[in-house]
Amino acid sequence: MPFLDFLKSTLVIGLLESAPLMLAAVGFTLIFCLNGFINIAYAENLTIGAYLAVTFNAMLGWNYYLSIIPASLLAGVVSVLTYLLVFRPAMKRGVGKTEMIILSVGLSFVLRFGINLIYGSELFNFNISKTYYLSFFGMGITSTQLICLGLALIIALGFYLFMYKTNYGQIMRALSDNENLAMVSGINPIKVSILVWFLAGVAGGLAGIFTGVFTWVHSSIGWNVILVILLVAIIGRVGSVRGALIAGASIGIITTAVTLVTQPAYGEIALLIIFIIFLKFRKAEV
Amino acid sequence: MGQILSGYYIYMFSLLLVFIALATILHLQFGVTGIANFGLSIFWGFGMYAFALLVLKLNIPFVLAVILATVLTGIIALVLGRFILNLDSQSVLVATLAFLVIIEVLITQEKWLTNGVMGIGPIPFPFDFGVYTKFVYFLIILLFTVALMLYAGKLHSAPYGRLLLSIQDNEPLAQSLGKPTFRQKIIFFTFTCALAGFFGAMAAPVYNFLFPKYLGAEVTFTLWIALILGSRKRLFGGLVGVLVTVGLFDVLLETVVPIPEQNAVILYNAKYFLYGLTLVLVLMFRPSGILGDKKRSINIRNTSKLEKKEG
Repeated sequence: MPFLDFLKSTLVIGLLESAPLMLAAVGFTLIFCLNGFINIAYAENLTIGAYLAVTFNAMLGWNYYLSIIPASLLAGVVSVLTYLLVFRPAMKRGVGKTEMIILSVGLSFVLRFGINLIYGSELFNFNISKTYYLSFFGMGITSTQLICLGLALIIALGFYLFMYKTNYGQIMRALSDNENLAMVSGINPIKVSILVWFLAGVAGGLAGIFTGVFTWVHSSIGWNVILVILLVAIIGRVGSVRGALIAGASIGIITTAVTLVTQPAYGEIALLIIFIIFLKFRKAEV
Repeated sequence: MGQILSGYYIYMFSLLLVFIALATILHLQFGVTGIANFGLSIFWGFGMYAFALLVLKLNIPFVLAVILATVLTGIIALVLGRFILNLDSQSVLVATLAFLVIIEVLITQEKWLTNGVMGIGPIPFPFDFGVYTKFVYFLIILLFTVALMLYAGKLHSAPYGRLLLSIQDNEPLAQSLGKPTFRQKIIFFTFTCALAGFFGAMAAPVYNFLFPKYLGAEVTFTLWIALILGSRKRLFGGLVGVLVTVGLFDVLLETVVPIPEQNAVILYNAKYFLYGLTLVLVLMFRPSGILGDKKRSINIRNTSKLEKKEG
């Protein structure tokens, strides 16, 4: 297709499609920022969010948009539970950073296959009552998907505002920078940690719910993208929610560009190669 | 007798041996040298697929194909190692994980080369002793596995092994003492990954048909949990771990205890659920694993003389 069209589609589609990713990256960054380790089990936040939404929507018959609320809130609760029951005790026992990653992979398997045991291995779909089919910049898309992407974008921006413009956001960032100093200033680390994990869980859950609109809901939807989320977090200079947003958008655009030219799989591979390269250039050497 | 020897048991035991070998390699990489390689199954799988392609598409004889597959795997390891081994531990873990996913996707995608999920094969054994073929092959694998463990055992008490341990314990210190840690890590990484490729090539005829899932995250994960469970720092950690995980689930539960067809999927999910749970619990409550940490004693000669002096 002519170059200008290509550019236009890439930018718009890339930006929209990356909205859930940006949300997930924000949540992931919050945890990494606060606790300093890579939580691979975060992938399951997305998956759990999506499955919870399916439970409310397809199984209990709620309206799709309505189900988003309890599903995401519950996802936040689950996230807090993983913190209180697994990660916090582990950190207290002095589990090292690398072992924490392995631990989180283990937890990820527990959650993912636990979901399989509870829900079965079938694929689920959302039950959306009324949806219109539109053509958006040459791409077939439903009105629901468009709304979801829009919501994701708005919520992502909301997180940004929260982190940078409010008191609580400032407290959270202070805590992540220097826990001792924050404590001395009268900030309760446990309460703030719980809040952070809750928000991260909600963000992840929402990301999962919004992703589930585009494809089937299955237990690997989180696992499939966790590396990309990690990539976005790393590129966005871990610790910066702002960075995560920008990186997320760029990644979405790049992926779309590569996918439009070749196949989706190559897009994924390109991302992962970028990922390894970025690891090399951002981390301090041993 | 012939039936037992060529039947399912031999298949399972051969694979068990290969997994033990792989877990021991992982022990050498992570438990001894501190390289958190989450993509070990890739090197194993690469060796397997390379061997298969050499034998099936280029008609290269068995022994040569094994050697070539091993060397090729080593080259891949060298390239990757060169790139990531001077990063910190977390990055190595995550980078190898990314590498794992890349190769997994590639192998499934490049159908013209690997036949994707349809599988590639059948891969013949290098000799034919009729009904005893598989058993003899099993013995050969046993030989190599034992050789590997002997090598690993020797490494534990050799100066080179101590160098590797020092890299894990405190790399900056080792560097300050003039040890070329980066170079050593690359060499050792390349060597051990090549070994993984070797076992991959050897495993190919046992599997007969190769599928991409043999390299997948699940294999890597199984190896990791086996090693952590069995004790990553102990020589026999891999062995114990594999016996408790793969031995228990894949051998015992599926062969000795017959599971009805409908429950197969549940068993699959339950298996990885339990694996994950075990990993979490072990890392939280007994991070040193079943066999515990290795007691490293300082080898002082003439200790008796010292004791007499103090007494």
